[in-house]
Amino acid sequence: MLEPFFRWLGDFEASKVIGESLWIYPTIQAFHLVFLAILAGALLIVDLRLLGKGMIRQSVEQVARDAMPWLLIGLVGMVTTGVPQLMSNWSRQYHSEFFWQKMYFLTAALIFTFTVRHFMTRQHTVGGTTAGQKIAGLVSIFLWGGVVVSGRLIGLFT
Amino acid sequence: MAEFLAPLRGLFEYVNELPTSIQIRESQYFSPYLTVSHVVVMAIVAGLVLMMDLRLMGLANMRTPFTELQRRLFPWQMFGMTLAGITGLTLTYSDPMRFYINIFFWMKMLMLVLAALNAMAFHYTTYYSVASWDSSQAPPLGAKLSGAISVVLWTMIILAGRLIPYNWFA
Repeated sequence: MLEPFFRWLGDFEASKVIGESLWIYPTIQAFHLVFLAILAGALLIVDLRLLGKGMIRQSVEQVARDAMPWLLIGLVGMVTTGVPQLMSNWSRQYHSEFFWQKMYFLTAALIFTFTVRHFMTRQHTVGGTTAGQKIAGLVSIFLWGGVVVSGRLIGLFT
Repeated sequence: MAEFLAPLRGLFEYVNELPTSIQIRESQYFSPYLTVSHVVVMAIVAGLVLMMDLRLMGLANMRTPFTELQRRLFPWQMFGMTLAGITGLTLTYSDPMRFYINIFFWMKMLMLVLAALNAMAFHYTTYYSVASWDSSQAPPLGAKLSGAISVVLWTMIILAGRLIPYNWFA
């Protein structure tokens, strides 16, 4: 259904330049992982806090507010380095079941992070956390973990 | 490959012939799933190390005292580091000659050593005066420097690690 869109992405001059260069694609791929680390750090520091671990002397809200700019930097970096990979390698991605699995996990993770998880971090909790907050932390780790695992599998199996 | 690595060649060649090394190398699923696990634990380790580095640089988590952040994140960093070590060593064990001839692999190893030395240097210098800047919004130059060096090294560790499959300089 989305094939024309993918084909359109691949038709850009930039897509061909990236695809034909020996080093541009690998370099973008490598920076995708650097931004993954930033994103993972910003997510985990909050998820651990939601689980009642990590920096338990600070309120959940404070930890989450402080991590938010880095969560956004990580996300913007992931998209900026992810889209060019899709452009130059659209056919492989389009036909990879792991690519679609990643997109489903990503959609769920993004929605969850900015709705339920966001709400759970806005409760003024100091010290121990509620059952709802713990579940939110676990769900966040599961969904984002799913994004990472299926993302890495795209390159290993087609 | 550089001459100073030559003494290691025998070890890598020896491991290369071990039955378990060959078994993992020839299995269809073991290596890919090890690679995936290595990336997941990398995200945990590097992510939490970067959060601490950014705090040292005065760029993130500024409302949390440094010692609090360091103390609470340390067990998780070590947990991730242990898993990264296990998955990484197993990957190397399963195909040693592929890594022995790879410049990115050795760059990554060197950066890991430098990152450890940087952490130790920080621990034995700037960290002594931590009480005076623990909650400060402007960490001292030494702290900023340690944080910045760590960010650069960990970025290079990730980049070199991901580039291992592209052995451009073989």
